[in-house]
Amino acid sequence: MSYSVLGQPQDRVDGRLKVTGAAVYSGDRRPANLAYGYLLTSSVSKGTIRLMDTTVADRAPGVLAVYTPFRSLKLYAPASQQEGSATGDPYPPLQNPKVRYYGQIIGLVVAESFEEARDAAGLIKAEYDQVKPSLTWDEGMPHAFEPKAIDHEKATLEVFAPGVTDIEEVIRQAPAVVEVTYREPMNHHNPMEPHATTAVWDGDRLDLYDATQAVVGHRHNVATVLGVDEDRVRVICPFVGGAFGCKGSMWMHSPLTAAAARALRRPVQTVLTREQMFTLVGHRPALIQQMTLAANPDGALQAVKHEVLSTVSTSKEFIEAAAHRTSRFLYKSPNILVKQRLVPLDVSPPTFMRAPGNAPGMFALECAMDELAVRLNVDPVELRMRNYADVYPGRGVPWSSKNLADCYRIGAEKFGWAQRSPQPGVKGSGEWLFGMGMGTALYGAHRSRAAAKVRLCADGTAEVSSATQDLGTGTWTVLAMVGAEYLGLPVERVRGALGDSGLPMAPVSGGSQTVASVAPAIQKAAESVTRKLAQMAATDPGSPFHGVPPEQLRYENGFLVAGNQRASFADVLSKLNRGAIEAEETTAAGSEEERYVFHSFGAQFCELKVNRYTAEVRVQRVTTVMDIGKVVNLKAARSQVIGGVVFGIGLALLEQSELETTSGRIANANLSEYLVATNADVPVIDVTFIDKPDLIFNGVGARGVGEIGITGLPSAIANAIYNATGKRIRDFPITPEKILMEGETRAPRVSLI
Amino acid sequence: MSPIQFQTIGSLAEAEAVRPPASFIAGGTNVVDLLKLEVLKPGTLVSITPLPLRGIDEKGDGLRIGALETMSAVAAHPLVASGYPVIAQALLQSASAQLRNMASMGGNLLQRTRCGYFRDVNSGCNKRVPGTGCPAIHGANRMLAILGTSPHCIATNPSDLAVALVALDAAVAVRGQDGSRSIRLREFYLEPGDTPDRENQLRPGELITEIRVPRLAPNTRSAYVKVRDRASYEFALSSAAVALTMDGDRVQKAEVAAGGVGTKPWWLPRVGDALVGKTLSLDTVEAAARLSSENSQRYSDNGFKVEMLQRTLVRALCVTGGIA
Repeated sequence: MSYSVLGQPQDRVDGRLKVTGAAVYSGDRRPANLAYGYLLTSSVSKGTIRLMDTTVADRAPGVLAVYTPFRSLKLYAPASQQEGSATGDPYPPLQNPKVRYYGQIIGLVVAESFEEARDAAGLIKAEYDQVKPSLTWDEGMPHAFEPKAIDHEKATLEVFAPGVTDIEEVIRQAPAVVEVTYREPMNHHNPMEPHATTAVWDGDRLDLYDATQAVVGHRHNVATVLGVDEDRVRVICPFVGGAFGCKGSMWMHSPLTAAAARALRRPVQTVLTREQMFTLVGHRPALIQQMTLAANPDGALQAVKHEVLSTVSTSKEFIEAAAHRTSRFLYKSPNILVKQRLVPLDVSPPTFMRAPGNAPGMFALECAMDELAVRLNVDPVELRMRNYADVYPGRGVPWSSKNLADCYRIGAEKFGWAQRSPQPGVKGSGEWLFGMGMGTALYGAHRSRAAAKVRLCADGTAEVSSATQDLGTGTWTVLAMVGAEYLGLPVERVRGALGDSGLPMAPVSGGSQTVASVAPAIQKAAESVTRKLAQMAATDPGSPFHGVPPEQLRYENGFLVAGNQRASFADVLSKLNRGAIEAEETTAAGSEEERYVFHSFGAQFCELKVNRYTAEVRVQRVTTVMDIGKVVNLKAARSQVIGGVVFGIGLALLEQSELETTSGRIANANLSEYLVATNADVPVIDVTFIDKPDLIFNGVGARGVGEIGITGLPSAIANAIYNATGKRIRDFPITPEKILMEGETRAPRVSLI
Repeated sequence: MSPIQFQTIGSLAEAEAVRPPASFIAGGTNVVDLLKLEVLKPGTLVSITPLPLRGIDEKGDGLRIGALETMSAVAAHPLVASGYPVIAQALLQSASAQLRNMASMGGNLLQRTRCGYFRDVNSGCNKRVPGTGCPAIHGANRMLAILGTSPHCIATNPSDLAVALVALDAAVAVRGQDGSRSIRLREFYLEPGDTPDRENQLRPGELITEIRVPRLAPNTRSAYVKVRDRASYEFALSSAAVALTMDGDRVQKAEVAAGGVGTKPWWLPRVGDALVGKTLSLDTVEAAARLSSENSQRYSDNGFKVEMLQRTLVRALCVTGGIA
């Protein structure tokens, strides 16, 4: 199958809007008569609000309303989880005085300006009857529980060879065993754009300009909590300034803002502060992962045991499925045990964060594989090849397309993996030690039901529309490119439309599924509209093709063709006296899901240096090879992988949310202290795509690329630190003191690693 | 609302009358930040940007830098870059390029701590509001001090520049209603004791007008080493400013100061003195660096800084001495 547009490096069609500031984000909306909301949040983790004195705030300049649990706006329970929609905190705010976590919404001040609203909010002090919260692993462990299911499988899942009943027996008898524990802290998404909601009512109709990964799901959820028919709600979000999962669910500031706008009969806008972003829109849970690998001397795995503890909120269940999405199937061990328990804490609800499950799970699995490789003196890439799975363990079905072996081979070659010393701590120069490491990247290929409309216009242009989202990832450009590919037009002649719940239904932009879901619908709608055009041209008396048997009419690159006769669709539509012709189609996965499994794969390599005296880690270069099916926009896909790598550097070396274990406050709820990588932390990143279409997965052959870039790099970094220093750090982020304190220093040299 | 009056003054005499809570503002990189956090509520901001506190030159006794020179201008100045590399290096490892373009040298020396409790008005903090306690002592204190702390405050002084200047025994010229005076930076900063809200010797209405750095002796090499979690735009876990004056292969004089570890820029005379007369080797440097932890106090998350400081000093001395 050949492509003409897909796979090319295409500039973003919305690039100019972005760099000139002309792109209007949700918090940029300024409808007439706009009022500004400012959220009040709890300063304790658990208890009941006894009193909120608002008398001063009520009279403060510019204040229009102060809402609290004692002077509330009625909100209703959210819908249960629906297809394509999810709710973050399941409890609508202000409906009772209970406090379930630090930083929970306990009030909303609305004023004529943002500054007045914020100032008045500062005048309100809440008094609480406190209950001792549960905020540490130790406090939560007695209440740890197994979820009912994880990804449709058991929370404790045993996939054993015939005759094996106890994996411990296999492990006991194995010649080589690695048994280690990895820890990761709570992380926060921190997109540049904070959540922002602008609610504009016109009678009983609501236009909600919101920052969301799911305009359709958001409409449903907001309508449910407001108690209105969702047909009366329109969610508009043409641009999102980064999301990474924290805009995938509806969080409660949105319906609260809309309810205030309804009560005050004027538009209201609420923008979250950076600090509020740390408690009101989710986080990645903290994890403790116990990993046991048992192998023969040649490296053939005999047992993989991966046991996960992840934190969860007492307010809501969420499973960071670190084992079920990784060790469950990546290697062909005859015996696999994955298990997860959730540890409830009095913290805000966690949520999906870029590569949920995979990012932390691959850290544990791929570090443990490196430890096993060192134990057996087998090259880490070779060890992975010796355990390469061709079929899904326990189910016997193959992958729709798996080119991971090519990723390893090409990556190793491009990176210069052969230069790596198997002996750790031997490559140095001056004050720096150098090391190399690698890890496998893995992420599920997801696809949901999606619709798209394709419209051919008499001016010779085409429009592709779908209620999907562009998180900054490049969906605007994807719509134009996919439309151009299947209409045979140049990209410049195809316009996209998205970010509006009134458009044909599309799923949440999460799970890296946007392209995989929407592109096939565009493909089908393009085929439909050109067929419809041919039909009409053959039968309409005004048409130049009138009387030509429809089966002899072909659509080719913007033209209808029959024998020697040729006319552009613009000409045909003009002759038919029609401004446009359109078709809408819906596509979804089919029976292939019973016969195949679908994943994207990759290999990520890095070289880094560690200071011999003070142990700062500086990543020097990264090579990454990705098998994501067909690449749609080479330029934006590369950006996605680069973004994943940058995220991975943060995960491995920098990012951690510091939960104060007495108060539940996040001590570093700001971008000064929650460290993300700066440009100076990011080296040259070499990205290669295998670019083999996965036509079993969908008709376009594309699987999605938003998340996989983060999944292999953290382990590659940890493994490279071992290679540089001989020290295994199993606790993220790997800050200098962890390297210094790990194991014995070379006495009497206190000052050298 | 807390409206702020904004004034601009054109002479030093006008500055003398300014009294707290009114605040001077120069580049604004710290003041505006603290205004947004509502840590500062000055009522009146007095811009000193028009004052004639500029110029970078070297006279007989050393380097003079006007207090309103920007960090970036000073770092790039040939006199500084070639003659006082420890200062240029400390400046270039501070903040970001954008901030260095705005921030003044005088303002840098007066910047407030980055302690998260000081910056969060919902937390207690003896430095911000005396008598409200120090949650940092049992809280998130990984970035906080191990030297010069008290039961009332363990906030770190965040300036890199000040560490370099303390190592070089620089002084600030200040001017107020009592006239002009010069204060050695080694004495300028105060340990928190039981008055952590008092951070330095400036009196109300006094301004830093100039920074004076003694000329370095011949055969002196200087450097600033900063250890931080990320490669840029981050404060120090620990840092070291060193100036080594050599007599052949022996140390004639060693001046050492540390940052990121003290409640003020921390001068380490005993470390420097321990090297005098010695040949530089890992052994002599390590022995000297060990002296840095005298009187240090470890807290829940920052105990590692005792060793980190020693290592930072060893690294800075080895690199500067050419034996890394």
